[in-house]
Amino acid sequence: MSGSSNVGMHIDHVADEDPQKLAEFEARIDAGELIEPDDWMPAAYRKGMLKMAEHHANSEIIGALPEGEWITRAPSLRRKLALTAKVQDEIGHGQMLYRISQDLGKTRDQMLRDLITGRTKYHNVFNYPAPTWGDIAMIQWLIDGAAIMNQKTLADGAFGPYVRTMRRINMEEAFHFKSGEDMVLTLMTGTQRQREMCQEAFDRWWYPSIMFFGPPDKPNSEQLPPMRWRMKTELNDSLRQRFVNRFAPAALDLGLKIHIVTKDPDGIVTSKTPDKNLRLNEQTGNWQFTAPDWDEFYRVIRGHGPCNRKRLALRRLSYEQGRWVRKAVLKGSTALPPAA
Amino acid sequence: MTSIRQDLKEPFADLLLSVADDKFILGHRNSDWTGLAPMLEEDIAFSSLAQDEIAHAKALYELIGGLLGRSADELAFGRALEGYRCATIVELPDEFDWATAICRQLLCNRFDALRLARLARSTHKPLADLASRLAAEQRIHVEHADSWIVRLGAGTEDSRRRMQRALDALAPEAPMLFEPVDGQERLESAGLYPLAATDMFQEWSESIAAVTGKAGLRLTIQPPAAQTNGGRHGRHSKHLAELLDEMCEVYRLEPNAAW
Repeated sequence: MSGSSNVGMHIDHVADEDPQKLAEFEARIDAGELIEPDDWMPAAYRKGMLKMAEHHANSEIIGALPEGEWITRAPSLRRKLALTAKVQDEIGHGQMLYRISQDLGKTRDQMLRDLITGRTKYHNVFNYPAPTWGDIAMIQWLIDGAAIMNQKTLADGAFGPYVRTMRRINMEEAFHFKSGEDMVLTLMTGTQRQREMCQEAFDRWWYPSIMFFGPPDKPNSEQLPPMRWRMKTELNDSLRQRFVNRFAPAALDLGLKIHIVTKDPDGIVTSKTPDKNLRLNEQTGNWQFTAPDWDEFYRVIRGHGPCNRKRLALRRLSYEQGRWVRKAVLKGSTALPPAA
Repeated sequence: MTSIRQDLKEPFADLLLSVADDKFILGHRNSDWTGLAPMLEEDIAFSSLAQDEIAHAKALYELIGGLLGRSADELAFGRALEGYRCATIVELPDEFDWATAICRQLLCNRFDALRLARLARSTHKPLADLASRLAAEQRIHVEHADSWIVRLGAGTEDSRRRMQRALDALAPEAPMLFEPVDGQERLESAGLYPLAATDMFQEWSESIAAVTGKAGLRLTIQPPAAQTNGGRHGRHSKHLAELLDEMCEVYRLEPNAAW
């Protein structure tokens, strides 16, 4: 469900690398070759890919939580089955991405412990609340829609295992997106109460999905290692524009209204006004929109969002509750990943 | 045979509801582990098993719905508490304790497998066909539970102690799985539920004892009382009432709407 665009990557230590090996490595990247785990790579590349894959894996298993809460409340047999399978998929994505990270040199147990102690991060978008069934529809439509856009560009990257995993994840995400689209459509063609539920959820999720792609790019982003080494292949702002171009007209077609909102500390909307800047610019073909409140973005990323503590607490509970089981079956070697 | 004699309709619907409700409520409880199981690999496996149970229940509700003229969703979400026919053991919360979840799987899955094997020989062809399909999947559930019981029973001192505690707490609840629905003996003589009473408890308790024995766990299990008035008659624990309040929260907002 997630992507890794907002993982902070500050990679600038190539000074210690053998210049010839580095040049060969960069030539392979430029030629569009895939880098495999046993190939030579700069230490900063290995470190950066590990950080990226680990952040992505963390986001998958934390991202399972807001939707997982609604499995027990899904309103029909079909939706209950689909939602359970969907959350299960996210755990599967987490598992694949942790395997990639394990191959890059970090044990799974260490990664899980770093996650629950706050030493590593997960995608910011999961720190927002999902108080109604409408939010589940919006997460699958907007957030999974955003994730697919982002992950399609990550599938054009250079690190072989990550690229292959992105391709597989994207196929599964396409089902999630279809399911989300179907849920939104069902609510918007339903009763007055269902339409209101859907609009209120849209108001909560529209700006978090615009912020999904990470903060505005730095002027030299394309020259920095993450893009130079094709760890990521597209600028945050250009993905964001593509997202708005795709989803703003789709939302309007469904009868949804696009608002600028203020929220209380629990993430619940306290006031809203129509986004007066929202219009299609005929010349550029782009939809213009009011920029998000980036102060809010940084506040949430620093741990002060509506659900940061709740998400980590549940993850920590799961880790602690399961420890005796892992000890029993792994015979005390909980620091090692389980065998394949 | 696909039609049911008028006087057998109610017991037959009750019987099918008891099978479906056991599966649905157990699947509901177990689906809540999705995203939170002790290991990611197991998370995926356990979620698939929960989805199986809910999908089995859905197929059974569709069959019953055909007889009663109600939709599967109405049966799943739209009944009052006393309309459910599940046994208490599936209603209990597992308190997020893996030992409880797994011990319940052992007791319920082996019962369900025996029940499905009998229903697969029902004279009601649609039920017999469905039951043999479900029985094939149920075998995987049985193997899954068995392997966890043995691994955790024979794991560490701590894991053995936790498993024993969970088994001791659940074993007294399990025999009520055998509580017959009203009119079950008539269903048996009509061949709708063949061999319903014959040796089923003994076969079940021996197969459970074989697994717990291998795991080094103690097991004390009593046959069900002759006269019972429990889940199969609509008498339920407070846990089921709480479960239904949560499960039907969204459905009840607009029971006639599509979701």
